[in-house]
Amino acid sequence: MNLLLILQMSSGQPDASNSSFIFFGCILFAIALFVYIFSPSRVETSEEKSRLSFLYERKDQIYENLRDLNFEYKAGKLSDSDFNSMRDSMEQEAAAILAEIDRLEKLQNGLNPLRGSQNKGARA
Amino acid sequence: MPQIGSFTLLLALVLSAYAFLVGIIAIVRKDDRLGETARRAGIAVWIAVTASATALVISAFRNDFSLAYILEHSNRALPLPYKFAALWSGQEGSLLFWCWLLATYGFILRLRHKVDTRLVAHASVIMSGVQIFFLLLVNFAAHPFAMTVGAIPPDGNGLNPLLQYPEMVIHPPMLYLGYVGMTVPFAFALAALIMKYPGEKWIHITRRWTMVGWAFLTCGIFLGSYWAYKVLGWGGWWGWDPVENASLLPWLTGTAFLHSVMMQEKRGMMKTWNMWLIFSTFLLSILGTFLTRSGVVSSVHAFAQSGIGVWFVWFMAITFATCVFFYVKNKDHLRSEHQLESLISRESSFLFNNVLLLVSAFAVLWGTLFPVLSEWVQGHKITVGPPFFNKVNIPIALCLLLLTAVGPLLAWRRTSTESLKRNFLVPAILALLTAVVLAFGGMKPWADIANFYALVAISLSVLVAATVFSEFWRGGRVIARHNNTNVFAGMVQLTRRNTRRYGGYIVHIGVIIVIIGFAGSAFYQSKEKEMGFGDKMNIGPYTLVCRSYTQDDNPNYRSETAMLDIYKNGKKIDTMYPQRRVYKASEQPATIVANRSTIEEDLYLVYTGVNPDTGNPIIKAHLNPLVWWIWAGAHILVIGTIIALFPNMQASKQALTEKERARALAAAGRTGSTAGAD
Repeated sequence: MNLLLILQMSSGQPDASNSSFIFFGCILFAIALFVYIFSPSRVETSEEKSRLSFLYERKDQIYENLRDLNFEYKAGKLSDSDFNSMRDSMEQEAAAILAEIDRLEKLQNGLNPLRGSQNKGARA
Repeated sequence: MPQIGSFTLLLALVLSAYAFLVGIIAIVRKDDRLGETARRAGIAVWIAVTASATALVISAFRNDFSLAYILEHSNRALPLPYKFAALWSGQEGSLLFWCWLLATYGFILRLRHKVDTRLVAHASVIMSGVQIFFLLLVNFAAHPFAMTVGAIPPDGNGLNPLLQYPEMVIHPPMLYLGYVGMTVPFAFALAALIMKYPGEKWIHITRRWTMVGWAFLTCGIFLGSYWAYKVLGWGGWWGWDPVENASLLPWLTGTAFLHSVMMQEKRGMMKTWNMWLIFSTFLLSILGTFLTRSGVVSSVHAFAQSGIGVWFVWFMAITFATCVFFYVKNKDHLRSEHQLESLISRESSFLFNNVLLLVSAFAVLWGTLFPVLSEWVQGHKITVGPPFFNKVNIPIALCLLLLTAVGPLLAWRRTSTESLKRNFLVPAILALLTAVVLAFGGMKPWADIANFYALVAISLSVLVAATVFSEFWRGGRVIARHNNTNVFAGMVQLTRRNTRRYGGYIVHIGVIIVIIGFAGSAFYQSKEKEMGFGDKMNIGPYTLVCRSYTQDDNPNYRSETAMLDIYKNGKKIDTMYPQRRVYKASEQPATIVANRSTIEEDLYLVYTGVNPDTGNPIIKAHLNPLVWWIWAGAHILVIGTIIALFPNMQASKQALTEKERARALAAAGRTGSTAGAD
């Protein structure tokens, strides 16, 4: 049905001038879209996500969890023992992540000293 | 117009195929320039589909009955807003509308590709795959620009009378925005699985998309319910109709996803569960579209029987197979970082909440598809009615309500009994007091199971309200102490600091108000009577007196209206006008309900017909307590979701600081290089 309609349009049988006008309008529309698609001025790319950037994200999340825990404690929702044990386990989790970050950064510094200093800058 | 519409539809299909195939090649070859052309092709799809949808709307405005679709779904006397709504009133138009919404979501997604170009490139390919399916449908199976066969009639058949209501102009777009919106988190989840994306950033990127989709689905469901109440004239707002159920299914799994995804963000848990929840939500959205259009289930909402069901079955099968394939291939990537530490913890409350929502979704799905399955197995259709759905879902809803109260007060990881006591004592006493007052105040839970459920629902709602209030109060007090302000200013500040959490609590308040409205259904009553001049009918505290009845005629419909004076406790309070219409184009009747809604109850009058012997109208009166609460709760629910969509005050400040830091680093880099050159 679709193709039939378009063929009818290009043959211009029923109302020749109108159909031709529509036909050329459609072709112009398609050309404009193709020009847009195939003439990218600049290409944006982001770096492939590494284990290190994932660890930074996790670290931020654990810090946020610690802030939440602290707030809930201040709000009186947690007993002292609950708060202390949860804070300890979160801090251990954070320490493990920080240790892995350090290890990966040292490894990266060994491979590329300049990049290592950039990472430290980003962490500051 | 038909030629333009057909051409742009075909063009959109070609462009989608390009975005899909070249997108894959670009990902495999890691060719960013080629990937950029695929992204732009995706944007161009939106332009082409917009042109096509515009062509159909203009054809409706111009009464172009050379198009079969316009002939079937419009007529000259149809008011303009309904002509516009013709775009989604029929099978072909609504599929085109689906395509347009999907292209619009894809358009926004591709414009915002800088958040993570590689992840968006993968998601974009998946969205193009879905787009291709719908464009294939509208190009080859349900063409909206098909021409009228034979001579063109002078006028169209008109829009279905049931659809000629303002709510119906908004309801389908809302529902479709919800259905289609679930494609975005699905595409990101599958993309993250395919590329073994490390971390949970994809959830951060799609969080708002999921909430937006969920909010639209919620609006769509409530608007549909409101329409059923106001238009169908049976006095209820939910009939467990297959198409209603179809919209509820992705809502249930989507709600489960919105909760359980927090565990993944916070603790890196439930990754496989979340992945399958969003896959299921998307598949159920497609199933909903399929049920509405295939004619496999009979419903007041469904479109006519058609052959496009097979297309949907294949599409769902291919999508499911794709999900399974990538899950099996990359399931190691979804390993949990932590295990559940205690049964009394926020994690376990989310887990139970998820299990209950999924059991409910399964029961609704089973009941909806049972007629089809029974016909397939036994050769005859066995329909499952509202009693089955109510029997299963009411207890589940009550358990969910209990978890809604309990969850926020439990801590992540584990909660001691001491903390439990500290947080629950006051709310639990309040809920128990409510139950006692209601039981001895006339609700009589022992008299009927419906009364019992209503009492439990209201008591649990009080429990939820108390726990939510205590969350705001305690948090507000901490902020007030810190900022030296009052508690209420502290509460506002608190909400602005964590919009997602406190917006979520406002959503919970909306839910309990809706539940209180639902609980009122245990006490609905109705009466039917022939009403001549001066005749009276008593229902509850109301007396209805028939003052007169009239007939009217306009180009669109003929109508009969009764004029009834309403007295409450002997005092006249209102006049109501229930009406019955017959639309001329289709000769189909429709009822216009007269409804007097107050916070306590709705007086709902239906003009059911005329006694042929006396010529007097027959009026059915319903007295429905607490219905107002359902619509009020729905508004609060939407407001809560909108609040949750706003960025956190602190987060935006932090983002600014990061931007400033990045700028400073860049500046430092420039200075460094200049210094080096010097």
